[in-house]
Amino acid sequence: MQNSIVSSTINRFLRVVPFNLLVWALLILYLLPVLSIIVTGMMPTEQLGDTNAPLYPARIKRYTYQGKEYQVYKVPMNDGVKQLAMIEPGALSSLFVDPQDSQTEVIEWTGDWNTLIGVYEFHPTWRNFTVMATSLPFGTMLRNTFLLTLVGEIAVLASSILVAYGFARYKIPGGNLLFYIMIATILIPEKITFIPTFYVYVAILKWNGTVLPVLLHLFFGNAVYIFLLRQNFKGLPIDLEEAAMLDGAGPLRRLFYVILPQSWPVVITVSLLHFFYTWNETRLASIYFGTNPELMPISFGVQNYQSLVPIDNIIQASTVVMLIVPVAVLFLAQKYFMQGLVITGAEK
Amino acid sequence: MQSTSAIDDKSSIETKYKRLIGLILISPWLIGFIIFKLVPILSSLVFSFTNFPLLTPEETQYTGLNNYLFIFRDVTAGRVLVETLKLAAIIIPLQTFSAIFIAALLNSKDLLVKDTVRALFFLPSIIPGFAAALMWRGFVNPSTGWLNRVLLDPIGMPWLNYFSSGRASEPLFILSSLWTLGPSILIMMGSMQGIHPEIYEAARIDGANRLVRFFKMTIPLITPAIFFSLILNLTAVLGGTILLDRGNSFRGADFSSYDGYVRYVLFDTLQMGYAASLAWVFFIIVIIIVLILFGTSNRWVYFPDREN
Repeated sequence: MQNSIVSSTINRFLRVVPFNLLVWALLILYLLPVLSIIVTGMMPTEQLGDTNAPLYPARIKRYTYQGKEYQVYKVPMNDGVKQLAMIEPGALSSLFVDPQDSQTEVIEWTGDWNTLIGVYEFHPTWRNFTVMATSLPFGTMLRNTFLLTLVGEIAVLASSILVAYGFARYKIPGGNLLFYIMIATILIPEKITFIPTFYVYVAILKWNGTVLPVLLHLFFGNAVYIFLLRQNFKGLPIDLEEAAMLDGAGPLRRLFYVILPQSWPVVITVSLLHFFYTWNETRLASIYFGTNPELMPISFGVQNYQSLVPIDNIIQASTVVMLIVPVAVLFLAQKYFMQGLVITGAEK
Repeated sequence: MQSTSAIDDKSSIETKYKRLIGLILISPWLIGFIIFKLVPILSSLVFSFTNFPLLTPEETQYTGLNNYLFIFRDVTAGRVLVETLKLAAIIIPLQTFSAIFIAALLNSKDLLVKDTVRALFFLPSIIPGFAAALMWRGFVNPSTGWLNRVLLDPIGMPWLNYFSSGRASEPLFILSSLWTLGPSILIMMGSMQGIHPEIYEAARIDGANRLVRFFKMTIPLITPAIFFSLILNLTAVLGGTILLDRGNSFRGADFSSYDGYVRYVLFDTLQMGYAASLAWVFFIIVIIIVLILFGTSNRWVYFPDREN
């Protein structure tokens, strides 16, 4: 008896451990580009062009000699490779001192110093982040993104919830057909609707440089969100609503007091989807806010900045900054988010 | 007799009232559909039969089918159309198989710290499109990128310079399409969780091993989810509303994609009429593809309702 428990535990262990190792290996592979930009974002600028430099943020070791800082290199000498600080580089011969022994004389080494490889030390820097932070109006951009998100969320959630409730619980003349039409609108390529709306917004209404072209359509619901919400509302038991109806509760009361309290996961999921969308949106912003930098949201601001700054690690650092908020939100809300989408997937 | 008719009257009034409420509830979408979808689509159709110069609209003239005839002679339009469809043909199966595979892993009973692992697999899907583009460019950089230095070097593989060549954006776009799997993975996971464990138990007793159970039972039972995610991915690649719309930054400036070319015609050559006809041709192609998918769905998608 005892034996079989032990052997089944061992069996389980032998199955679980390799499996989880495999999953984590796959995960690290999948997320490797993210790790790589976090690391590059902390690299000193001079490390980028240096092919001998290690993968982690590093710089060539420094040694102070007679009040000045010099870089330490690996120098091949007669008695083996030594780590020496170069005080005077030269194409034919260079001068070094030995950091181990401050009493020694200056050592002369014959050969091109460019062929020498440096001694690297771990040296992360926040400079890329501070350079970017000081050259971008982060306060204004964050305020803009926050306001766009707030108004957009309220508009799109309120309208989508009402419509989803209508589709889920009411017999509407031609309701099924309308629902299928709504699903079909998800498939319409954006470019076909974009051309006339762009013309009307910019040429006729002169809304260029205002938030209206970016926000207005959100007041009319979003087909994907309506679909997700409707699937969820339909799956709820109808008994409670009928009881509320007998007590004289109207449609809106039933929606607020019966349906919504049971639907938090999917409502949170939809609001998160919209948050991620707004945080990342650059296409509409670049078209309609181009003339008005005051309205620039963080996504377009950072994208714009990246196209102007030629230094790779500052660009990487600004990308890292863009990731902090959505990743934090994803992890704070992971439980609801995973639940919300998984349930809806099962429904369909 | 009288009383029944009174009840009938009352209930018919009630249904009318209910219908009216239903209609009011869905009216935001209905109005939005007319303003933001139907009217623009029809206007695009009208534009496509004119020359409509963006800056001098008063010079607009009816040109009949000229725009459409010109598309056939437009070498760039043909090239970007073929390239976009080719990319879709590579990306969509790749995404579908990867999503099924990862969903199966994440659904395993043996998986530890489930929520965190699942959230981490979802993470790339919330990275902004332009940032994702940038990360991949950095990742495949021939001299400093981690693809060569971390992955290929330690296992003794030759370094790849392929991605830095002129046609770099295409393989990069395919690679980065694996980073939009999040929603598909969740949909398939949900579908797998909906399968009753008894079915597996019965098969296990009959001697079916894990692989047989996966291919003969799990896959057929989740075909509705596969179909749904296929439609979502197709829409994403062909430029519709996406579940998590991140924009496509690989494409655009260089018009290697249809989207980029339409943008170029619209904003750089300012020919709104021609841009509209390009968009309409694409729209018709998308409709045909979607109809083919729905038409064949009977043969391979399992619909539980239809069996009853």
